[in-house]
Amino acid sequence: MDKKKALIVDDSSLARMMVRKFFSDGFEDWDLIEAKDAMDALEKIEGQFLHLALIDFNMPGMNGIDLAEKILEKQPGIAIHLVTANIQERMQLRAQAIGIGFIKKPISREKIIAAMQEQTK
Amino acid sequence: MFRLSELEEDALKEFFNMGLGMAANSLSQMVNNEVLLTLPKLKVVPYEEATRMLVANQDEKLVAVRQNFKGELTGTALLIFPGSESLELVRTLLNEEIPLEVLTELEQETLLDVGNVILNAFLKSFTQMMHVEFEFESAEFLKGSSRFLLDITSHLAAQNHSLMEYADADADERAFVLMMDFKTSDENNTNHTLSGFVVLLFSQQAMLILRRELEVILSNL
Repeated sequence: MDKKKALIVDDSSLARMMVRKFFSDGFEDWDLIEAKDAMDALEKIEGQFLHLALIDFNMPGMNGIDLAEKILEKQPGIAIHLVTANIQERMQLRAQAIGIGFIKKPISREKIIAAMQEQTK
Repeated sequence: MFRLSELEEDALKEFFNMGLGMAANSLSQMVNNEVLLTLPKLKVVPYEEATRMLVANQDEKLVAVRQNFKGELTGTALLIFPGSESLELVRTLLNEEIPLEVLTELEQETLLDVGNVILNAFLKSFTQMMHVEFEFESAEFLKGSSRFLLDITSHLAAQNHSLMEYADADADERAFVLMMDFKTSDENNTNHTLSGFVVLLFSQQAMLILRRELEVILSNL
């Protein structure tokens, strides 16, 4: 069976390493694409079909909301979650307004599992 | 001289990013406005260099809330605002109509409350991922030049450190400074834009503890 594809976009190496560890330990049916910013992500997902995207908000260049909108244009319906330390209500409302989920940092295995379950709904 | 690796610095930046996120959330609820967070500009620099950086950037008087913390991790956290912006923050928090004289009287008390909330939220970011315990002392209000606010002798004295502990150390080795900046949203009223710095002063010993904790976290990834 083909593996599902998840994308993590975060300028923090630590944040990407944490997500990589979760995926390599228990989520063997998933492939993880890692990107350090929006442009890097758009290049790496070109031609790929994603099942889940976890995107930081505050990154150099394009922010996470703008990136999410670009990905949604290409793949409507994909489960995208903004993963951010910016936990202000307005940020949560902004994510809600474009129909994506909101995950407060720090990321955890449980939060990723919840996002995956949402993806399968 | 003490240096963090690129990865350790990245990890520290991410912790502070989370701390600043929590702090910004508290502040946004207080000012009923979004607090824009810039990309964290974390600098781990020797104390003398930090003083030069801050002095170079700020000519005007600054106000600060100082929060010392003690325990496994001991240090000083400073929330620093340009003096002209502190009254605007107080005005935003209290009432538009309050006359300037009254605002000035309330400045100290209000900023202490704000500083306390922000710095506590910020410092708690350490305990989210690291196994370090520390206690907060009561916050203090300071006003003066950046040189005055970063006067290491005063901070060490406030921490009840023996200055002799540091006497043998090279001036550059005595403390390390982590600086981040932030600003509030400016959707409706430019007068209410607020920016500031969070500055953390650590002794070299505290930096070694931080590094130890970072190594533990990174080795598990």
